[in-house]
Amino acid sequence: MAFCCAGFVLYAQQPGCHLSLSGTVTDEHDRSALSFAEIFLPELGVGAVADEDGYYTVNNLCPGNWLVRVTHLGCEPIEQRISLQKAMTVDVELEHHAEELREMEIIRERPDENVGQARTELDAANIERSSGRDVATMLGVIPGVNVVRTGPTIAKPMIHGLYGNRILLLNQGIRQEDQQWGTEHAPNIDPFTTDRLTVVKGAAAVQYGSDAMGGVVISEPVVLPRNAGTSGEIRLTGSTNGLGGGIAGMLQGGVKGVRGLGWRVQGSSRVLGDLHAANYVLSNTGLREAAGSATLGWQRRRHGATLYYSVFSREMGILRAAHIGNLTDLREAIERQEPWYVAPFSYDIQPPRQVVMHHLLKAEYAYRLTDRDQLVFTYGYQANDRQEYDRRRGGQSSRAALDLFMPTHSGDLVYKHWFGKRLHGKMGVNGNYQENINIPGTGITPLIPNFIRSTMGVFVLEHYPLTEDLELEAGARLEHARLQVYKYDDDGLWITPEHNFTNNALSAGANWALSELVRLRFNISTAYRPPHVSELYSEGVHHGSGSIEVGDATLGNERSLKMVADLEAGLFGGRLATALTVYQDRISNFIYLRPSGFRLTIRGAFPVFDHVATDALLNGVDAMAELKLDENWSIRARFSMVRGSDLSLGGPLFMMPSDRWENALIYRRKSTGKWSDMELEVSSLNVFRQTRFPADIDFAPPPAGYHFLGCMASIARPMGKNELRLGISGSNLLNVAYRDILDRFRYYADARGADVTLWVRYGFGRNRN
Amino acid sequence: MPIMEKAGIHLLLIAGLIFTGCKKDEDPPATPAPPVNEEEVFTTVILTFTDTEPVGGIYETFYMEWRDIDGPGGQEPVVSAEAIPAGRYFGVSVTLRNESVTPPVNLTPQIQNEAEEHQFFFDHPGLNIILSNFDLDANGQPLGSTFNAQTVGVSEGTLRVALRHEPDKDAPGVAQGDITNAGGETDIEVDFPVVIF
Repeated sequence: MAFCCAGFVLYAQQPGCHLSLSGTVTDEHDRSALSFAEIFLPELGVGAVADEDGYYTVNNLCPGNWLVRVTHLGCEPIEQRISLQKAMTVDVELEHHAEELREMEIIRERPDENVGQARTELDAANIERSSGRDVATMLGVIPGVNVVRTGPTIAKPMIHGLYGNRILLLNQGIRQEDQQWGTEHAPNIDPFTTDRLTVVKGAAAVQYGSDAMGGVVISEPVVLPRNAGTSGEIRLTGSTNGLGGGIAGMLQGGVKGVRGLGWRVQGSSRVLGDLHAANYVLSNTGLREAAGSATLGWQRRRHGATLYYSVFSREMGILRAAHIGNLTDLREAIERQEPWYVAPFSYDIQPPRQVVMHHLLKAEYAYRLTDRDQLVFTYGYQANDRQEYDRRRGGQSSRAALDLFMPTHSGDLVYKHWFGKRLHGKMGVNGNYQENINIPGTGITPLIPNFIRSTMGVFVLEHYPLTEDLELEAGARLEHARLQVYKYDDDGLWITPEHNFTNNALSAGANWALSELVRLRFNISTAYRPPHVSELYSEGVHHGSGSIEVGDATLGNERSLKMVADLEAGLFGGRLATALTVYQDRISNFIYLRPSGFRLTIRGAFPVFDHVATDALLNGVDAMAELKLDENWSIRARFSMVRGSDLSLGGPLFMMPSDRWENALIYRRKSTGKWSDMELEVSSLNVFRQTRFPADIDFAPPPAGYHFLGCMASIARPMGKNELRLGISGSNLLNVAYRDILDRFRYYADARGADVTLWVRYGFGRNRN
Repeated sequence: MPIMEKAGIHLLLIAGLIFTGCKKDEDPPATPAPPVNEEEVFTTVILTFTDTEPVGGIYETFYMEWRDIDGPGGQEPVVSAEAIPAGRYFGVSVTLRNESVTPPVNLTPQIQNEAEEHQFFFDHPGLNIILSNFDLDANGQPLGSTFNAQTVGVSEGTLRVALRHEPDKDAPGVAQGDITNAGGETDIEVDFPVVIF
């Protein structure tokens, strides 16, 4: 009965039989634990006995609809069927006196609303093994997810060839609003605030609204403890590249005598010095990060409420050699083998640099109308504060060159319901109100103007299980967005243009369990994205790319139609686990930057890029296969490929990832004496050269392909109620000098060289969820 | 299904609240912030060529001017360069101005105060001219805001003036006026069509 605080390192999407069912059996009246209750799944012939505290776990279950039987001394056996699609917690309350099972309360069923959507999850163990990395880099291991970089420290996730405003980030259930339009703006999410990162690979606009064209990244909230007692953890990480590391701590508990009340506080900090490419220091790429969060939750049978607050702050240097003034500088940088500015390693952060702070406040209240129907109201407030500092003359470098403050309010009301025995789903309304404010005093005309954006949407998403194995899904959404812009025009006149965008999205899907080990998911969805202010109104020199970018206020909505088919199959009795995702995404009015000539300025001639719309088509395949060689050894392969084409002009799309192929050898062992959960992995990643790219858009040809050697090792040491886990992970172990097609700084310098990270986690106290 | 009906009513009520809640936020900001004065912007480059020795009893002065008052876009830059006579020896000074603000600001003193962080580079394809005697920063390395020009022979070509911010003056060739290894950030890069007669 090992307490499974971090699962085994498996993808949740693998169809293998490794799901767990756990929970607590308690007495409904005095809430005392019912020790040694028996949990049995008769169809599978497996079960478990609860421990003294009434806690049980049944491991290695296959997905499916299973009958669960709970018995306790002197009670009649009680049965209920559950749909097990992923690790689940089912708390059971027995009406002890009446000796009958009143109700099985499903407290933690991870939301799986889009049953037809292909999705991949990184669980706590995966996140833990990527300790010391940012969220986008963690997600980059998932087939179909790439990382768009601006130098070694700024990373954004790309899903199926789309990134930035074309994918959506949900942090604690709230749309992340932190200036995602810029490639040099990394998402401000602390990976320590979640124990599960989910990537939805379909167009999920029905549920989440605009921007969810390529997919959604969900950083899920951690479930609070409900029972008395305190538990926590301390984590330390240290990395050789950047000679830095981090510390993180967490404490959580329930409150004695107040059942259902739980709390959690958490904080982390990270410091890195200049990172190192294979052959030189990447000067001024240091980083300082501090983040914290607090959650208070209360849950009773009918009511549940959660209050969450988090703050994330980050200061980071931008590669000094990437700060350029014009196209001549850029051409010189491309021709140089080494960046022109390489200084000895330092922890100092000089301009150009960014300072960002992001606050998130969430209040959620859920009211259970019946056993199955629920109303959930969520309010979110985010405040994003961003300053970018440039190298300026006249001692002005300490004055921000860009100073943006963006508060966002959001409100959601969702009604989760059942109509009859089969049809169930949710419907709701979402409202969003956002302001973007350029704080005066920079002495520079703002890159994007001030604006107010308000959106209002209504949606419905329904599921209908046709049979036990085949579930259908359909949804629709209607949304209106109003954008009010405040700016000076070219003649210095104050103008306040208003834009209105009305959109709808439709979605249909199916989830078909062909057998215990084979599952097919299919989804077809429309999605939309109103143009961002930067696409409508930007006008000026984009530093870092030595170009002038011109907005077009007449641009309309982007609309996409995406089809995703996802097959998960276990072959040879589950020894070979495979997952295959095939998709096609057709986007009309796809907005991108097209070169339109040169403009003479006092800094020399600048290429001009206009925001224009075209029709785009993206096709791709993600695949994964893992073969168990024996009890301990496995091999795994992951592959992803995207093809993007410009339908109006013909030819390929710009900024498409190149093909990737990763192979790994894995050794897993559950216990070795006092140690447990041992896992070793050696991986080899091949990133091919992009051979499909449009002529005349890029300043340099795509970089060569590269090969990476990586490793990971982790082991746990249970110590009663406490546990020590430690691990090591290495990337680019051969210290290969390389540049990546999706790295905007590939013109200036090589990407990050060899890096080895050590991590330790000490968890104390037990507090089951 | 009374519960469902009740839920529907709740849903509508709260939806209404959200809608009305958002409406009242739509007041535009009261007063617009004044447009930004871009005080660090260069709009104008002026080269002044003055005889070092009087010719025929007088010191003659020739001007070359590059102006783009409204910045990138809008009106095209205006470039003018007086033809300069051959066989003469000139003292040349570079003046940088921001003429987009009133009154215009001369930015050359700021560059000279931060001489270690700046350097002017000159290129003159087609011109039979020798440039020398560049002014120096506190480290004895060239700044180039003033220099001498000897017009050797009749010719026609381009005089390119580039100003780099924070160049690496210790890199090979940079102190000799070669821009190749200078790095840094280009603040100015303008071409004058020059005739030496």
